[in-house]
Amino acid sequence: MALLESAQEGPAPADPTTGSDRRARGGRRSRATRRQDNLTAYLMIAPMVVLLGIFVMWPLVYSVYLSTFKISFYKAPQFVGVQFYTYVLESSDFWHSIWIGLYYALLVVPTGIVIALLLASFIKTLSRRVAAFMKVTIYLPAVVSTVIASVLFTFMYQDQGVVNWLLSLVNHAPVAWLNSPRWALPAIAVPGIWLGFGITTLILLAALLDIPESYYESAMLDGAGFLQRLWYITIPLLKNVLLYLLVTGFTLAIQMLDLPLIMTNGGPVGATSTPNYYIFNSFRDLTPYATSYSLTASLLLFVVLGTISIVIFRLIRSDKAVDG
Amino acid sequence: MSKRRSILALVTSAFVASSLALAGCGSGGSARTEGGKTVITFWQQKFEDYQQTWFKKEVDAFNASQSKVKVDYQVVPADTWAQKLKAAQAANKAPDVQTTNYGNIAAAAANGELADLDGLMPASAFADIKDNVKSFVTIGGKHYAYPMLVEPSTVLYYRTDLVAAAGLDPKNPPKTWDELIAWATKLTKGKVKGMTIASVAADLGWSSWGLQYNACGHLPIADDWSKSNATEPCYEKLLQFYKTLYQGGLMPKTPKVGYADASPYGQGEVAMMADGSWAVGQLKETFPAMVAKTAVAPFPSIDGDQTKTTATLGGWTLTVDAKSKAKAQAAGFIQWLLAGDPAIMASFFKASGFSKYTVRTSVDQALAGNPDATSDPFMKVISAKVVPYGKQEPAYPWDIALDFGTAIEAAMKGNLSIPAALKKADGQINDVIKKQSLAGTEPTH
Repeated sequence: MALLESAQEGPAPADPTTGSDRRARGGRRSRATRRQDNLTAYLMIAPMVVLLGIFVMWPLVYSVYLSTFKISFYKAPQFVGVQFYTYVLESSDFWHSIWIGLYYALLVVPTGIVIALLLASFIKTLSRRVAAFMKVTIYLPAVVSTVIASVLFTFMYQDQGVVNWLLSLVNHAPVAWLNSPRWALPAIAVPGIWLGFGITTLILLAALLDIPESYYESAMLDGAGFLQRLWYITIPLLKNVLLYLLVTGFTLAIQMLDLPLIMTNGGPVGATSTPNYYIFNSFRDLTPYATSYSLTASLLLFVVLGTISIVIFRLIRSDKAVDG
Repeated sequence: MSKRRSILALVTSAFVASSLALAGCGSGGSARTEGGKTVITFWQQKFEDYQQTWFKKEVDAFNASQSKVKVDYQVVPADTWAQKLKAAQAANKAPDVQTTNYGNIAAAAANGELADLDGLMPASAFADIKDNVKSFVTIGGKHYAYPMLVEPSTVLYYRTDLVAAAGLDPKNPPKTWDELIAWATKLTKGKVKGMTIASVAADLGWSSWGLQYNACGHLPIADDWSKSNATEPCYEKLLQFYKTLYQGGLMPKTPKVGYADASPYGQGEVAMMADGSWAVGQLKETFPAMVAKTAVAPFPSIDGDQTKTTATLGGWTLTVDAKSKAKAQAAGFIQWLLAGDPAIMASFFKASGFSKYTVRTSVDQALAGNPDATSDPFMKVISAKVVPYGKQEPAYPWDIALDFGTAIEAAMKGNLSIPAALKKADGQINDVIKKQSLAGTEPTH
């Protein structure tokens, strides 16, 4: 909107000698076209506003309203004010699940980005044909459904699975990967990384290819080594892409549901109970108490996720990329 | 100003449109009909395969037997049951008839979810229910469910061939928890583990009820539901028992299936198994070669006293939804299937390989002439030595059972020491009591 308006208001009256009537005519015309343009603009954003209104704003407002009731599908709902908010905030399990979500994101996102950056740098050095083959290979996990990946990895982690077989070669098997409170979360983070790094690699590869070769050439002429080139050229120029990957990666990873649901059912002893799993699991409880509780917990999770995104944005100040 | 007004207008119209759209989703009116027949939906939680076959056959028979009601039969997997049911309840589309287990009746009735069946089914139907089961479906003198079967939750199965090979006496199974651990230790050889028992909170929550009774004589909550009893020292022995089995490597640490599934035993991965009586049906059906090599005994007791409870008597009923628009037709279907011709339920118990118990006197009479019903060696042991000491499943909300199950799991997997795990469960159970206002709400029969 601001862009449209500044474009309209931009040109000043051309010639001070042409008289006031011309200016007035011009003003009338500009007002009329402005109104016309505004109408077009509103019409164009209207479908999105309507859809957002139906599927985001209204459910959100209505959920906040409902969260002040003890909901029962069979009896009249009972107004309880902010009682459920205190119940959720008091619950150690809720905070534990937020911690699990953060821990999972910490395991998955930085590792995924580092692996993807290494792979992207490697693919960049390859010939066109080999690079195409590598890109397809790396992207394949992204089209595998999470459910299938979960089942595959569950088999790999069994006592007789391939992971324990490898460990048995160095006499360390079997580890009850999915049934040990210590190893369960790292064990489900592995398929999490595997599923995600295909897209991350392609995005980073595109960003790497966008950095002009001339920068590297002049740096090399000045005697910069690989690490210096990485530190002074590649990473600064990838900053915006990395920020995007971090923010989307973190918010997605904290919301992980499928892997713990299928592989560990949130266990053992809540070790993989991510926030979404925790909320889903409280919803699955058949008591009316659980309905209001899971609703309130999901609203509070929304606040927590928003806060985390703001913190990441603050920590890494996003600059406009220096264009090459 | 005009910009603000138009934005306001847009947002308002968006809200109006959305409210209209949402209002359109609501349902109302009378029962669904199809070709002049009233349609009632029936959700059955997925059980052993033969049960689905039996239900399908009987529903078809019911639909063919009359021209007024059509039952729309749907099988719902157990792991998606709760969320599917809740979503349906929220949308006012809960099934007219559904399978409900004994443990859930009280909570559902207290929440007004179940229709009172007394006015909908004849009194003679309720008179036919055996005395020991009557209280399972009665709350405040009213019947909220019609029972289908009873099955004890915890029985010991063991491989006679492996036991003999390990130098133990198959005719003299373990009677105490210590003896059981000694057996499990001797039977753990190579890839075969000595024992399998529940190891995740969701399974431990219910499958350990019998053993909770065994350890302390009661469940970890006061009789009037006013406070938790989870820190009583007797429970420490129970947690120690599970912990020894798990940490001693006497049971599979990464089980592929839940407690109720007898596959690891059937596939020869373990020498002993704690499972419900339903496992008899699964062994006969899926692993017939195992039947000859298997013996059944009451689950060992904390002190060897075999008259102490080791199992709860679980089982399933059919209930009618309180909001059903065709309550009479729904109850009519239940009456036909569970309370009508005894031959129908007799055919069910036959299909189950007699691995479950009848709940009606008339069905017992119908089966009296069937030698299979009384001659099964496994069921003889379970009838004589387990069922008489079995207790009813608790009626308190599942959260409490889950908190205690989590304590057992935490002790098994070494997250917390046994006293710390029980202390945590104690706090959580008291928290559930407070937040769900449970004190004094225990149901009366």
